[in-house]
Amino acid sequence: MSNIHLEISPLPERNPERSFTPEQLVWTDEERARIDAYRASYPEAEAAVMRLLWMAQEKFGWLAPEVIQLVADTLGIPYAHAYGVATFYTMYFKEPKGRFVLDVCTGHSCQVCGAYDRMAHLEKTLGVHMGETTEDGQFTLQEAECLGACGTGPMLQITNGRYVHNLTDEKLDRMVATLRETGAWPFESVTLPQDEDEMQGNRRSDAEATEKAIPAPFFHSLGGHRHDAAPSHAPLHEGTEGA
Amino acid sequence: MEAPKQTPTSKAGDWRSYQRVILPPVRDLHLLDVALQNGAYTALEKILKEGWERKRLVDEVKASGLRGRGGAGFSTGLKWSFMPPDKPGQPRYLACNGDESEPGTFKDRQIFEYNPHLLFEGMMMGAYGIGAHTAYLYVRGEYADYISHMERELAKAYAKGLVGKNLFGTGWDCDIVIHKGAGAYICGEESSLMESLEGKRAYPRIKPPFPAQKGLWANPTTINNVETLACVPLIVHKGASWFAGLGAPKHPGPLLYGVSGHVNRPGVYEYPTGMLLTDLIYEVCGGIRGGKKLKAVVPGGSSVPVLTAEMCEGVTMDAESMRDGGSMLGTAGVLVMDEDVDMVSFLRRTTHFYHHESCGQCTPCREGTGWLEKLVTRIDEGEGNLRDLDLLISLCDNMEGRTVCALADAAAWPVRWTVTRFRSEFEAKCKPSLVPSGFVSPETLGEAVADPGYVLSD
Repeated sequence: MSNIHLEISPLPERNPERSFTPEQLVWTDEERARIDAYRASYPEAEAAVMRLLWMAQEKFGWLAPEVIQLVADTLGIPYAHAYGVATFYTMYFKEPKGRFVLDVCTGHSCQVCGAYDRMAHLEKTLGVHMGETTEDGQFTLQEAECLGACGTGPMLQITNGRYVHNLTDEKLDRMVATLRETGAWPFESVTLPQDEDEMQGNRRSDAEATEKAIPAPFFHSLGGHRHDAAPSHAPLHEGTEGA
Repeated sequence: MEAPKQTPTSKAGDWRSYQRVILPPVRDLHLLDVALQNGAYTALEKILKEGWERKRLVDEVKASGLRGRGGAGFSTGLKWSFMPPDKPGQPRYLACNGDESEPGTFKDRQIFEYNPHLLFEGMMMGAYGIGAHTAYLYVRGEYADYISHMERELAKAYAKGLVGKNLFGTGWDCDIVIHKGAGAYICGEESSLMESLEGKRAYPRIKPPFPAQKGLWANPTTINNVETLACVPLIVHKGASWFAGLGAPKHPGPLLYGVSGHVNRPGVYEYPTGMLLTDLIYEVCGGIRGGKKLKAVVPGGSSVPVLTAEMCEGVTMDAESMRDGGSMLGTAGVLVMDEDVDMVSFLRRTTHFYHHESCGQCTPCREGTGWLEKLVTRIDEGEGNLRDLDLLISLCDNMEGRTVCALADAAAWPVRWTVTRFRSEFEAKCKPSLVPSGFVSPETLGEAVADPGYVLSD
């Protein structure tokens, strides 16, 4: 029974070193306008905390305590409340992550379709274990609960954004290489239509517009650089493969 | 293809010639212009311009027999009629549940992606039916791509005056707010969805008071699933009798079947309710991958009891038939498994899911889900004892119905029924043990007591 042991998460440090300076921790005017719009959507300011945490994570890369403090101060709610929300939800990063976070779905549909084999392949390719970040700060490999793309499993999600469907080892190699070289994700999240004959029927054709609507990849202090390059347009229509 | 023969027991009727309505095969239907050409927002316009009374819409939905598509299968019209009478100055809310975190379920995403305007229209009609002027759409954070796509479409609809103030010149207002979650299965439970919408940790609330009495910010609230609300405009368009006549009589309407796992053509399929499970697997989805044999089916998301291959015969996809067949319809997210699947490893992943997603509010669930995972893991690693199987069942007995929300039940059901229905596989993975319990001399047990950590007597 010795190998059956579940880890207990360590408590956060009481006085961690600051990762962001006070000068960094400000909202731009455009962000302030968005914040006001979010606040106006709800009868109480507290309800906008989830949206603000998302904004903060997109801006700063991860939710350091001082970032959570900024969100709490912006909304006029206690720090403890914002911290409580940030720690309850799994998609908020409470520690620095790699430039690309690969959330490999291992929910039961993906599991039976070989998600753990793909995970093992990624572990071998990247040289890290599940839950770890590569030494160069490029990739964090994580296990995710069901991501809601069961029909195209096994699949993964790149940094809380794009879905990559129907994974094979070759496809993963291509994806990792592309992400490493170009820093962009050349994949669409478009899913399969009902019938293969209707590939050209009920299809979304505005992949380009979607690309623009997606914010640039999240980044943070770990890699130390900001990635501003616009995602390149898809040479591969990954979503429609391998039905 | 030879002439299709009608399956006599299928309640879905002539499903082979069914024309899709929730996800019709129209290119670019998600764009507002295309949606408008295809009749989007006309059902809302009709009830507003004809000045339908609220009660008329609720009665229409009741008459259609629409039942919630989120898993519980409760009558939607009845749910709407639970809203208390209007009180001046008291706002009411509609919340649309697009959390969709149930493993094996991916139908709502197709609506977000291919037909969001049908959903927006349905949400506003739902708001009209319950007297609300704000409708919140809670979408799980993982669907970031689809959220930004829906926000763009919603902004277009606002700009055209199809959502917002003074709709169609009738003076009726309705706002839609998209709320982005951040990855918590529990938010699919209606009361924790409300907590999450209020910007809190998503701990489920004790009921009563029910959401219709005290919901969002303690005001009357109704919560419906995405697919449920998407059906409402269709009911007004085509009439309650059309809807009631489609599919299984007690559970009518179109249904999105999400089939995943070892089938040749997995995906989301729209057909009437009451499809034969075998039709769905062998005809719609092209049979089992690689010509293998069917082993097990989880017919409605990971929480529902698993069906063995023999049990799948003759079961149709509606609440009543599924109940009689030994499972539940749930979300109609069908997972098909072939003969190679190891049920113990399969269950191990499922128990891990519930342990990870338990919110930690109630002890039977917080501790129980962890115990379930440890026990199943132990068996899967070959360290388990035969007695563990009974321990699992007794653990399930002590979880079901003892918590604030149904997550503990949802965690216990798959364990109980997988262990019961595939017991021989579990036994094969357990260490050989001569007796299940009691006082036994070490000589009798022999090798079975090799594990010193195992306590023999109760």
